[in-house]
Order: sequence, then structure tokens, then C-alpha cells
Amino acid sequence: MLALNSIREFRTRPLRTLLTLAGVAVTTAMLADMLMLGRGITRSFGELLESRGYELRLTPKGTLPFDTEATVPGFATLRDSVESVAGVERVAPVLAASVTVETSDDSGRSVEALALGMDSGDQGLYRLTEGETPRPGEVLTDADVRGSLGVEPGSAVRLRPAGATGAWGRRTTARVSGTGEFVFASRGDLQVVMRLDDLQALSSQEDRVSFAMIRIGEGFEPDSVRAAILARNDRVEIVTLAGISERLDARLSYFRQTALILATVSLVVATLLVGTLTAVSVSERLGLIAALRAVGLSRRRIVGGLAAESVVLCSIGGAIGVALSVVVAGYLESILSDFPGLPVAVRFFVVSADSLVTAFALLLVSGTVAGLIPALNATRLEVASMLHKEAP
Amino acid sequence: MSEIVVAARDLTRDYRTGRSRVRALRGVSIAVPDGDFLAVTGPSGSGKSTLLHLLGGVDTPTSGEVVFLGRDLAGMSVEERAALRLEQVGLVFQRFHLLPMLTALENVELPLAAARVPRKLRRARAAAVLERVALADRLHHRPGELSGGQCQRVAIARALANEPALVLADEPTGELDRATSRQVLALFQSLNADGTTLVVATHDLELAAGAKRMIEVVDGRTIP
Repeated sequence: MLALNSIREFRTRPLRTLLTLAGVAVTTAMLADMLMLGRGITRSFGELLESRGYELRLTPKGTLPFDTEATVPGFATLRDSVESVAGVERVAPVLAASVTVETSDDSGRSVEALALGMDSGDQGLYRLTEGETPRPGEVLTDADVRGSLGVEPGSAVRLRPAGATGAWGRRTTARVSGTGEFVFASRGDLQVVMRLDDLQALSSQEDRVSFAMIRIGEGFEPDSVRAAILARNDRVEIVTLAGISERLDARLSYFRQTALILATVSLVVATLLVGTLTAVSVSERLGLIAALRAVGLSRRRIVGGLAAESVVLCSIGGAIGVALSVVVAGYLESILSDFPGLPVAVRFFVVSADSLVTAFALLLVSGTVAGLIPALNATRLEVASMLHKEAP
Repeated sequence: MSEIVVAARDLTRDYRTGRSRVRALRGVSIAVPDGDFLAVTGPSGSGKSTLLHLLGGVDTPTSGEVVFLGRDLAGMSVEERAALRLEQVGLVFQRFHLLPMLTALENVELPLAAARVPRKLRRARAAAVLERVALADRLHHRPGELSGGQCQRVAIARALANEPALVLADEPTGELDRATSRQVLALFQSLNADGTTLVVATHDLELAAGAKRMIEVVDGRTIP
């Protein structure tokens, strides 16, 4: 009943209550967003990797896919060796090279793009949105390349290694086979895909690949297959999806640390806010608290009644804050989606139940503790002294 | 011979104010038998409230003893004394100290809820007590919607809710006008006639004169 009184008293102080709720909501939103930011990139990148259906990546020693321009030489022999390992179901090599793509007419339109050379029918790095996967002598472009050059499926384009000018260097003419979305492309990246043999020939990198994706058969563990491949080939790196995520996570530790600091600050602010309000509220009611103690109410009952105030404030403010955090996350995501060097498909803020529940629970616990302290202090005071002070 | 509800022997109570020590009570002895209506009078700061607090176990004496229904309060913990007050002592304050957002009925239910009386029973008992203090038509009014006299009657009803052995009232008419004070006196007399034991600390000589007996406290000592 004391709790009921405390909660009803919110209505007698609407401005104070609204300001506190707003403060708690904003800090909860910030806390939840920082938790989402701390976990979002790694989680969404991990999901992106898993969605492509390859459990291992083979890269030059000490690198990650798309990390450097280093390549693995003598891939044909290496491929035979990898494919002979028990559990390896498919090896999908990829060569990445910068190319200049230009229209075959005299319009003079050209773009610099990252070309991916891949085996036939392999869509581990892109999704076909129109047309067909490229066959020998064909190239598939992303929508930006297509728009910049004004080409359609069936059009012819000329390709040459980036930087090759005049008659110097190799060049080829290819037919546009279709359009695709490149899942690991950053915003503003222009990408095309062509057959591995064609790109190797164009870029003078015969029998070389930048990396290879390895699919594992059912019932095999990525770590054990990785170890078996490495036992036969010590000149390459074999990375599991978890390993890639871990390395990305290490590189993004700046984000996580910033997020952790801001989350902690949010929590402290919310705790101080609720603690201050409860302390003010308790100090206004010291006489009443003394009288209730004199009547015979136990400390526990009075503390519970007073703490109910902070629990209700944190519950309502926290619930509003959780909803607000989803809106704010969407807005921040739209700003950060232009962040250079990360695939567009990777999200900074992944709205997840566990982040929201964690933020809400942290706020509720810390706010309740903040409310308990002044309540406990008030009930520790000497009842008779407080009643004497109350006397007119 | 009536049973002694509370007996105090040779009570002293010292308070510290800064570096100095103030002796509020000096060797007070008193016995309150069942069915008594005792008025404690005296000037401000004479020790009336202190005496009431010691009799009810709200405060503990510096020396001396208080025996309540045969139990020495000195051997009881803070929470044990709180439990004793909840069940055996009704307290009435000058400033009522009602919970402002609870109705009269809910305010009276509060000590019953604390004593774990089942909801239906406590609601019925609270309503009956409020009827006893002539507030049956104000059950669902909040203190802000009641007059000072009505608030004090709610506070008296709250004190009576657990059917205590003793009601202690500290300046119960201090905030009330003359007419309302008379109503409170009449209520106390009526309650006493029904068997309630009362000790009332008051400046109000008319209230004191309406009690069965009176003692005066001056400079921490009782003058019979």
C-alpha cells in the first residue's frame, strides 16, 4: 500500500515525473544502442559470411579475403591437394583485380571497378539479380557499373587492367551477361565478375588466386578440416568463419571500447538520475517515514514501498527507452552505412532481443539499487529523533 | 485490580545536541492500567513526547526500564519493538501523517496489511473502525479531501485498526480548532468508555481535563 501511495504520488508531481521518465528513457536508449553497436558489426558480418555457404577461407599467409593484393601462386596443384582432404566438398577460388571497364562504342565512358574472377555458377560473393552468370568471354556487372556505362545484358564492354593505357597491357572484349548484387562490396565500390580463367589471363596472373572459399561436407567440423588442410599446405592461411569474425572484431575494438564507455556513462547517468529523484522524494517524506516506523511498519516494508517508486520509473522509462533505441538505431545506421571499407550488407546496429533485454535489465537493476540506498538510509535514522524534528 | 498495560520505572533520556548533552527526562516512573485515560501535560520541551515515545517503544531510555504487558522493552530489538507497536500500540500524531494518495479506508488498512491480515478481513475491519469514528461516509476520500478533524479521526482509526492494548496520542488537537478538538476529546472519551486505554500528551487543558487522570511533566520530571 505504501508502494501504491508512492506510485500515485507521481501524478502530484507531473513535471518532475515526466522529466525523470524522459531522462531514464534517453539513457536507456543510449545504453541499448551502444550494446547493439558493440555487438552489431561482428554479428551481422558473421551472419553474412554464414549465408554464403562456405565454412573456410584459404588466403595467402597472414591475410584475410580482400585484405591485400597478395595472391596464392600455383593454385591448380594446391587445389588438388585441398580437394583431397576428407570433408572438403567444394573449393571456389576467387581472383580479385582492379580493371577498367569501358563501353565498346565510341562514347568514351569508362569506370574503374574491382573484378572478381570465379568459377562458373559460383555465387559465393554476389547474388544474381538479372540475366545469367558469366560464361567464358562474359562479364556480370553491378547496377552502378551498368548505370555508369549505360549498358544492358547483351551489350559488349572492353576490359583492361587498371592503369594500363594505350596499347600497353592486355585487354579483352566481353559481353554483359547480367547484373548482380555484390554482398561484400562497400558503398561506392564498383564491381564486376567474370570467369576465373578470363580474369587470370587479363591481369597476367595465370594460376594465381586471391583466396578460395571452401565448403565442408555434412558431419565434418571446420576446425578439424582446417587442421588437415594446413597439415598438407603450410604456405597458405586457412581461416574459419569464426576466425574471420574474431579478426574483424579485433580490428573494430575501437568501436566496442567507445560503445562500452558510452554505455557505462549512460548507465551511471540513469542511476544518478533515479537515485537523486528517490533521495529528494525520501527527504520530503522523512516525517511520514518516521511516523510509519513508529506505527510499527517494518523497515523492509517501508524500503520496499519507497523502492517501488524507482522500480516503476525505471520500468516505464526503460520500456520507452527500448522503443526509442530501435528508432535511434535505424537513424544512426543510415548515417554509418556509408562507413568506408565495410560491406554494405554489414550493419552497425543489429536490433536484437538480447541487447534490448540486457539494457532494460541493467537499467532496472541499477535504478532499483539507486532507489534502495536513500530508502535504506531513511529507515536507519532514529525514529524518535525524526519525530522530534517534525514537531512544530 | 486492573492489569498494568505499561509501566515505566526511573526513566531518564539524554539527547546529544552538538557537543552538549540534554536530559529530556529525569527519573520518571509511571504505570498505566488497562482502561486508563491519562493526560500528560506540560510546556513545550518539558519531555511529554519523549515520555510517550519511551512508553510505546519508539525510543529507548538512557536508563530505567519500560515493561509493556509484562515484557521488558530493553531486551527487544528494533524490529521486535516495531512488531510490538504494530500489534499492541496505536499512535496518533499532531500532524496526522496519513499517506496523501491513499483513501481513508486504505490508510486504515495499512497497519492491518502490515500485520498480514487477509485483504477481505482488513477491508471490513478498516471500514468498521472508520464507522466507529463517524467517517463511514468518507471511506474513499483522500486526506486532501478531508478537513483537519476528519484527518485526525482517520489517524485515530488507523491507531485502532489492530485493536491495540494502548493508544498513545501526541498533541492530537495541536492542529485543530476548538470545536474540532472537542469532537476529538468526545471520541477519546467514547473509545475509553468502550475499554480503550489512552495516554494523551497535550497542551490543551480542556482535553486534559476530559481525561480520567492527569500528570504534568516539567523539566523532565513528573508532577502528579
